[in-house]
Amino acid sequence: MQMRILLAASLSALLAGCVTSTVDEVLYKGPEADLSDGDALVVIMGRRHASDYETEPDFINCVGKHIQKRDESINVMSELEFMNQLYPWFEPRTAPLRPNDIERLMAVAPVREKLEQMNTEYMVWIDGETIRTGGAGSMTCGIGPGGAGCFGFGTWGNDSNYEATIWDFSDREEVGRMSMSATGQSYMPAVVVPIPIIAPVQGTACDGLGDQLLEFFSAEY
Amino acid sequence: MLDSTTSASHTRSIWRGLTALLMLVCVGCANQVVVEGNFPAPVLDKIPLAVGVYYDPEFRNHEFFDEAKSRAETDWIVRTGQAQVEMYNTLLPGMFDKVVLLNDIPEKTRVQQALEQGIDAVLVPHVAELQYSIPTQTKVNVFEIWMRYRYELYSKEGELVAEWTMTSYGKTPTAFLQTAEAAVNLAAVVALRDAGANFAMNFAQVPDVRTWMEGLAETDMPPAMTTQETEETL
Repeated sequence: MQMRILLAASLSALLAGCVTSTVDEVLYKGPEADLSDGDALVVIMGRRHASDYETEPDFINCVGKHIQKRDESINVMSELEFMNQLYPWFEPRTAPLRPNDIERLMAVAPVREKLEQMNTEYMVWIDGETIRTGGAGSMTCGIGPGGAGCFGFGTWGNDSNYEATIWDFSDREEVGRMSMSATGQSYMPAVVVPIPIIAPVQGTACDGLGDQLLEFFSAEY
Repeated sequence: MLDSTTSASHTRSIWRGLTALLMLVCVGCANQVVVEGNFPAPVLDKIPLAVGVYYDPEFRNHEFFDEAKSRAETDWIVRTGQAQVEMYNTLLPGMFDKVVLLNDIPEKTRVQQALEQGIDAVLVPHVAELQYSIPTQTKVNVFEIWMRYRYELYSKEGELVAEWTMTSYGKTPTAFLQTAEAAVNLAAVVALRDAGANFAMNFAQVPDVRTWMEGLAETDMPPAMTTQETEETL
């Protein structure tokens, strides 16, 4: 059994491309609220104001799940659920751009009641994207009566850049910023069967940013 | 003579069948999206108005057809009608004290008939324009939908008091294992949510609407909620 696990781990390590990542962090203020009882809410949202890219909803979900998986005492609400609960105040057109804008939201009685009821303590805005940086190589595939197969080699790069801004919802202020960049090269050699060696660039960025946010929010890290 | 008529009729039937088959094949070639999504109720301070809303057949069944311009492209059919009716049916009751669905055109007499039963105004939304873009056209990894709505607001007296347009925009990034149809659907849902947000935030700011509402406030309009419903209340 252990041998099989070792074999599977070695195989997955072999089939994963290399990823290099860098995390930067600036904190203006440490966490004040105790999030360990699960009452206070942390919301992780994607910024969607750029015209030429869109912060991937999957990435936002990934960071939220990463935090909640590592520390179950932290109450993280999914982006879509939060947006639905407070429609139309957190749509790309209407979402607050600065912590001071929270005052404008609190002036609307039903919104204030909802936010207080949800006990929203921190809001994390993530902005960025993962892009493909280029590719090289060629591959030819064929099919005949005797079978099918491919021959060739392909390679491409991926580049992730994300920035997370943490707002303290109670104090209406920005308390920190974290940025995460990751790059990796994926390969696909093919001798009859193509073997993808994929660099998990976005996954690494998600784990890195999630770990960094955990250090801020969790008492266990 | 009888044989010739039967034969002609038979030939016509074959041609009709072939045409229908060809149309089916052509429709099969196109990318079709029937927009589907869940639209949340808004969290707003309600405007104290009883509003009748009329969706004309063009609005209810709105679809956008874009013919392929080259062999590398495919036709696109995006059907937004049902989804946008669902969106407005969820949005408007959260915005106004009372909303009544009207099943007929807002002609002056009919509007007055409805108004006698307690509606302050009738809102008629129209889709003025819809545009979309996909990564193969723009080389940017996002699917986009842009819409322009035109709204008409009729007063208690059946007069057109305001007519204005509002735009909405939705985009969604490309994702691994996501079809182009699913991405366009998601972009359309974001655009419809944006249309709702824009309408909810700016309805009372439209100059003609604001003037009309100020006039209503001055004349101390009667409470709208105590009246009977004309057709279907949301």
